[in-house]
Amino acid sequence: MSTAEAADGLPRPELVAALPRMRRYARVLTGDPARADDLVQDALARAWEKRRLWRAGSDLRAWLFTIMHNVHVNQLALARREAGNVSLDALDEDGGWQPSVRGGETQRLELAEVLRAMGRLPAEQREVLLLAAVEELRYEEIAAVLAVPIGTVMSRLSRARERLRGLMAEPAASLRVVK
Amino acid sequence: MTSTPALPPTDDDLNAYADGQLSADRAAEVAAALARDPALLARVTDVRAQNAALRDALDPMLAEPIPERLLEATSAPPAAARAGLPRWLRPAFAAAATLVLGVGLGWLGREVTLERAGTPTTFARAAAVTHALYSVDQRRPVEVWANEEKGLVTWLTRRLGVQAHAPDLNAVGYALVGGRLVAGNDKPTALLMYENADKERLTLQWRKSGSGSGTGEAAFRYAIEDGIGVFYWVDEECAYALSGKLDRSQLLAVARVVYGQITAAEVSGRH
Repeated sequence: MSTAEAADGLPRPELVAALPRMRRYARVLTGDPARADDLVQDALARAWEKRRLWRAGSDLRAWLFTIMHNVHVNQLALARREAGNVSLDALDEDGGWQPSVRGGETQRLELAEVLRAMGRLPAEQREVLLLAAVEELRYEEIAAVLAVPIGTVMSRLSRARERLRGLMAEPAASLRVVK
Repeated sequence: MTSTPALPPTDDDLNAYADGQLSADRAAEVAAALARDPALLARVTDVRAQNAALRDALDPMLAEPIPERLLEATSAPPAAARAGLPRWLRPAFAAAATLVLGVGLGWLGREVTLERAGTPTTFARAAAVTHALYSVDQRRPVEVWANEEKGLVTWLTRRLGVQAHAPDLNAVGYALVGGRLVAGNDKPTALLMYENADKERLTLQWRKSGSGSGTGEAAFRYAIEDGIGVFYWVDEECAYALSGKLDRSQLLAVARVVYGQITAAEVSGRH
């Protein structure tokens, strides 16, 4: 971590290293690969604008997640104002969850099933699941990313897990075509 | 305090326990409750299985190739970098920057020469030659096989004097074959070999870079040596080379995974 970078910029290798995780978080938020990459790009632009707020040595990934979450929330608010009350959850019914999974067909189907079930959760539950279960952030870090109290993080997480368990337990539903 | 009976675990306790986020004291109490109550234990096991399933399902996304426009967006935008320039000059700089990015390697958009980081550019050449030598070997491509991965990592760490990491490339279709030590010019080089289902092999090689010469910033370069593609870069401690007969974009995709995992391992190792 060079001091020169900290003074007037962001450490680019760490930014590059964070890209795959940013893209994944964006995919979980938007449910759509193309919109996800737009969101990542917007978030990076925002990160450069706000670069002086990043404390060198702190977790760049969590900081980038915070920025991306905010950009997403702002874009949602804007979209709602412009288009009436469109629920963005309604937009990501199925489309974004194209799993790119290697391995045998059985394994591929199992993983696709997890993604499909996750895609049926509300965005705020998907988000907290990703951050806690997959990114393994501390609950207090998640609270900071989402700008909500830690109790809210824990109750969302609890509901998300409960609901995901329910969705994955209904075998017939997995084969039903979502209209 | 110790005489107070522990409160039964709440939902939040069970979640935090499964995620490894409870304080040590409370975790001990919850563990005791789990030992007494199989139903509680099953809930924790369920959460952990769900976490693992989510990671299995979502981790492959990390190996997907990254669009060029996002790599470019990791550079300071011209407005931020050139804020001090007269307005009429900015378009010229933006155009120049685009041109540089266009002809550059597209990884970081900027090159810091390896010489500056204390590593001769011949590292890529050496890596390619070593790759060619061992990757065609059917019987003895490595000295230590992947079934002794832990011992392999310990051995390479000891011999190089720097913490070794064996990246997990299964998400991009490559399994670890094993590793060996290779004689370098003055320092030993570690080699890990990976193989995909088509028996195509990749090697990751690294050695300690010159002391105190690191810029603290990784620089990525690409070279083709005798038909073998090599991505090489330097971090604070080591010079790395990933070699294989893949095209540039495929090799880049793997290099990203390797780089990300090594960086993550080093960051978590420091904590």
